[in-house]
Amino acid sequence: MSLAERMLRIDRRIIFLVIGLCTLVPLLFPVGLPIKISSEVRGVYDYIEGLPEGSVFLLSLDFDPASKPELYPQAISILRHAFKKNLRVVAMTLWVSGTGLADQILTQTAKEAGKENGKDYVFLGWSPGGSAVILNMGQDLYNAFPADYGGKATKGLPVLAGVQNLRDVTYAVSLGAGNPGVEAWYVFGKDKYKFELGGGCTGVIAPGLYPLLRSGQINGLIGGLRGAAEYETLIGQKGKAVAGMDAQSATHLAIIVLVAICNMFYFSLRRQQRRQGG
Amino acid sequence: MDLSFSVILGAWIATGLTLFILSFLYEDNPLFKLAEHLYVGVSLGYTIVKTYDTVVMTLIVRPILDKGEWSLLIPVGIGMLMLTRYVPKAAWLSRYAFAFIVGVGAGLAIPRTISSFILKQIEDTVRPLLGIAPGGGITFDYSLLNPASHLNGIIILIGVVSVLFYFFFSVEHSGPGKTVARAGILFLMISFGAAFGYTVMARMSLLIGRLTDLIEFSDASYGRPTLWLLLLTVATLIVLSRRSRSHPPNQ
Repeated sequence: MSLAERMLRIDRRIIFLVIGLCTLVPLLFPVGLPIKISSEVRGVYDYIEGLPEGSVFLLSLDFDPASKPELYPQAISILRHAFKKNLRVVAMTLWVSGTGLADQILTQTAKEAGKENGKDYVFLGWSPGGSAVILNMGQDLYNAFPADYGGKATKGLPVLAGVQNLRDVTYAVSLGAGNPGVEAWYVFGKDKYKFELGGGCTGVIAPGLYPLLRSGQINGLIGGLRGAAEYETLIGQKGKAVAGMDAQSATHLAIIVLVAICNMFYFSLRRQQRRQGG
Repeated sequence: MDLSFSVILGAWIATGLTLFILSFLYEDNPLFKLAEHLYVGVSLGYTIVKTYDTVVMTLIVRPILDKGEWSLLIPVGIGMLMLTRYVPKAAWLSRYAFAFIVGVGAGLAIPRTISSFILKQIEDTVRPLLGIAPGGGITFDYSLLNPASHLNGIIILIGVVSVLFYFFFSVEHSGPGKTVARAGILFLMISFGAAFGYTVMARMSLLIGRLTDLIEFSDASYGRPTLWLLLLTVATLIVLSRRSRSHPPNQ
């Protein structure tokens, strides 16, 4: 058996081990590779940065714990930024399985920033209906969410003063891991009720959202862990996403090398077989 | 760092389940199956409890009992019709509920989707291929890095037309048509490559997330669950591997 044949039949567990080591070593011994800020992430940051104090900022955490590694750092960074700018934060989720995680994220960041529930922020929780909830909120927010996650009536909460429906929201960001997510917020929210919308998403769905970005349907997009790292860099509070960037670069390099080697061995074996056949 | 018992217990459970799931990379084993079944069961249980609490109690029972909102019984009635699927003689009643859902869903989604994904996207594709300078004259932006440049506008136009032509099967793809269809395939391949690249990035991010937690939980303040549970997982895999060698499964 030639080297090419042996390499192409290599035990896949060796490849798993290589990828595992390429991820683990940079996490243990970080190098701190530079992070370049993309225009799509800057779009979300600049818009929040430009909002006047007390503006209503709606954050929809449309994901569950399965997407935590990518969307948790995004949510933390955006909330830190919003609280730093003293915006009125209205958080919610369209994913029932994500309610506990969303509540934990909001409570943690609000505590860090010294914000008060009901006055500076509110977590509306989850309401049934998927995308229809957005339409319901567009007509009457208090009809879609009569009570917040803690069971307190939403009507009369200081944080929601002057807010009747989605038209009163200054800026909304959906951090989505699928459907309903960013697309649903555009289709049933922004397109109908005319508020500005930004998005954050997992790497898997990011390519599908770029057409919305280019056409101006969303004003910014934070894609995957990379986007989260860029946002952490922008707000100057480096966290889990920045820490993971070295590992991400190392694994990508390992995958590129493996793809190149595999192709090299594949073509070498094919040439060898042709020679033997001829 | 003093941690509460619930945090430490959570760390041990998270570490154990992560290692059990990762053990599948070696081979399928009972530890992986245990973690897999727990994941399915816990997610489903959580969803049921949350849905019951939010929908049945908060949005139906309490408004009816506390505020006398009896009109809520109408959607409840329509929803209950769904359950008639379990009674063969009354199953036809569920069609009214389904008809209501399909009708409302289609009515809401179709116009909004056409507006958002077809009209807006066509509007963005059909952009001026040349610009007009403020003092008159024609300008052309060559920048590939600027998504709104004229050069990118032309590339997008060629991509859209060639991909649409590739999926146009009424005309044989020969002669100049073959070249256009080939260009369409090229654009599709680039698009699939970009999507796959992002997918790889996403999967690696998930691995990074789990390994970050495993590193964090290797700390003495948690009782080093990563170390102990890694030893337990490896020992179990060795024992199972030896057992399967001495007692091969019946074919």
